[in-house]
Amino acid sequence: MSEEKAPQIPVIELRHVDKHYGALHVLKDISLSVEKGEVVVIIGPSGSGKSTLCRTVNRLESIDSGEILIEGARLPEEGKKLAQLRSRIGMVFQSFNLFAHMTILDNMMVAPVDVLHRPKKEAREEAMRLLERVGVADQAGKVPAQLSGGQQQRAAIARALAMHPKAMLFDEPTSALDPEMIGEVLNVMTELAGEGMTMLIVTHEMNFARRVADRVVFMDGGAIVEENTPEEFFAHPRTQRARDFLNSLQDK
Amino acid sequence: MSVVDLLTRFGDRYIGALLMTWRLTAVSFIAAFVIGMAVTVARVSPIRPLRAAADFYVQIFRNIPGAALLILLVYALPYLKVVLSYYACVLIATMLIPSAFCSEYLMSGMNTIDMGQIEAARALGMTFFQMIRRIVIPQALRSSVLPMTNLAVATMLTTALASQVPMNPTDLTGIVTYINTHATVGVMAFVISAALYCATALVIGRVGNRIDRKVRIRR
Amino acid sequence: MSAANASIRDALYEAPGKRAKQRIAIATAVSVAALAALLALIIRQFYISGQLNAKYWTLFTRYTTWRFIGQGLLMTVKVALTAAVITFGLGFVLMRGRLNPHRFVSGASAALIEFSRGVPTLLFIYFFFLAAPQFGLKLSSFWRITLPCAISACGVVAEVFRSGVNAVPKGQREAALSLGMSERRTFYRIIFPQAFRYVIPSMIAELVIVLKDTTFAYVVNCADLMQNAKVLISNYDALVSIYLVVAVIYILINYALNKASDLLARRPNRRNIAA
Repeated sequence: MSEEKAPQIPVIELRHVDKHYGALHVLKDISLSVEKGEVVVIIGPSGSGKSTLCRTVNRLESIDSGEILIEGARLPEEGKKLAQLRSRIGMVFQSFNLFAHMTILDNMMVAPVDVLHRPKKEAREEAMRLLERVGVADQAGKVPAQLSGGQQQRAAIARALAMHPKAMLFDEPTSALDPEMIGEVLNVMTELAGEGMTMLIVTHEMNFARRVADRVVFMDGGAIVEENTPEEFFAHPRTQRARDFLNSLQDK
Repeated sequence: MSVVDLLTRFGDRYIGALLMTWRLTAVSFIAAFVIGMAVTVARVSPIRPLRAAADFYVQIFRNIPGAALLILLVYALPYLKVVLSYYACVLIATMLIPSAFCSEYLMSGMNTIDMGQIEAARALGMTFFQMIRRIVIPQALRSSVLPMTNLAVATMLTTALASQVPMNPTDLTGIVTYINTHATVGVMAFVISAALYCATALVIGRVGNRIDRKVRIRR
Repeated sequence: MSAANASIRDALYEAPGKRAKQRIAIATAVSVAALAALLALIIRQFYISGQLNAKYWTLFTRYTTWRFIGQGLLMTVKVALTAAVITFGLGFVLMRGRLNPHRFVSGASAALIEFSRGVPTLLFIYFFFLAAPQFGLKLSSFWRITLPCAISACGVVAEVFRSGVNAVPKGQREAALSLGMSERRTFYRIIFPQAFRYVIPSMIAELVIVLKDTTFAYVVNCADLMQNAKVLISNYDALVSIYLVVAVIYILINYALNKASDLLARRPNRRNIAA
């Protein structure tokens, strides 16, 4: 899709990003870009830095050096500008992180009303529309603890969508779910991808990656080891490390 | 002295004493809450000296005995050319001590907040103060309703310090010493005061439980 | 508590950017200045009222002063520990009553617990001081302060014990009963030992409350730390310095007790019991 057009500004671009946790070098010279409408899936063994990478994009993790550009503009360091930028990048967490003291509907409305200053009525209507779409509209009046994990995660996706994001980050969105609930969340994500949402996804769901990704990024030891189309990557991994990783998955 | 005698002679005084205890409790508790909030803000601020000073404040007033604090206020302050009314001294003592506990309860209320929700607030583009106002404070308050209820009862108990200085009207503890100077104080005089204290504590507890059931966060 | 506090304190903030760092630096400077000014104001107040005069403070270089303070402190500790032993006993009995299957026993115990928790220590003190002698209960000044302190604390102790008992997993009781132990034996051999270890931190914290209550010993003329401070003051005519020092002593003791309670509460092996 995007390759056909003249060079376009990527929605998300990382240039030579480095990050350390003390002595630990968690991100090593990471360069990566996500074009508009593209779905990039990051896979790799645990501790490979893929989650950290995902979280640097909206600066939930700061970086030591390098550059992160959102639609060509440098990611602000702090303050209102950073908040504004974050409001336009949706994020879905492993542990859902719905606000425990609010109903699902209030969870959906708090940021549109407080951050984007949308009228309450409009925010409520849109919230209900989105909840309908992810299939939890009947739960709108409940608090998060009353919902199943799958329902919570779908509501969390709807909450992010209510901000009309330019791109969505998914940080292992199904890792905390019981197996029977993984499908319902992946279905919502597949639908989103089909609608042309720009997505950066960290996941362990290889079948999903194969089906939905435009590009697969394999990380190990804090570095990007391989980057390819899913067809190529899963059929002919170029590096030994990727082969080992894929083999280890098949053993299970 | 029979109950009837007691109430005909001192009934009005008991009402005055009950109102005094209620007044001291209410004013002290509200003030303690406000101070406790402010101290907590200082304790979680990124400004190290402010944090240290607020921590120090909490340790002082959490650990000083009420009698020692009241004596300092009543007897020592005038030597330092600060003269306060007895009422003011009592009020200050009964608000400073609960304020330290209030801050401790708020701090532990904040510790129940899930780190992930703070990150979610950030990811949604909330500014620091929006996050504090919409996520941190509501959750901290909701999970500290029961400790705050206990604090209100503890504040009521602390107001008995008022009996240690001349007050008019006296509080519910002071009234027994007042009666003692005007008649022989019998068991009944204590029973009435104790019953009024217990009834007050019971009401506070009921109200607290009701609020807690309404706002408690399900996890 | 403070180590747990550290987590939320820092979790609230993101890695500060340049502007945030600048602001924090300015706020730090301003608050240091404000705190220094406050301290200066306090010291100035001491100075202009003559309270920094050496005559108010040299008495603390004398052995006799500290011996007298020490004697008072010893009495304070004696009162507090005796009251603690009694209150733990009373609290235990009330807890057993509260958990008794007979509704009358548990109801009466609940009422006594509420009574103990709802009445200020001072009212108990005045009761033993003013009313008790009328029906022949003539106590020494030691018991006049110790008993009310114990009675005033026992309700809370009972509730703490009860929460400890409730925290012991149900399976423990079922396992003991299925081994053929009697209810009684199960409670004393299996349930309570676990509950007790669980509530040790709260018990130490309760000791702080008892210790604070003992400061009312002056009401009944018991020669505790506070009362001895009064005597020192009349000897040396140094009220401010002596009351300040005494207050600091109380604060340090209570601080140490609370610290110990916090440390014990955070001991990892307690988890096994609580879980």
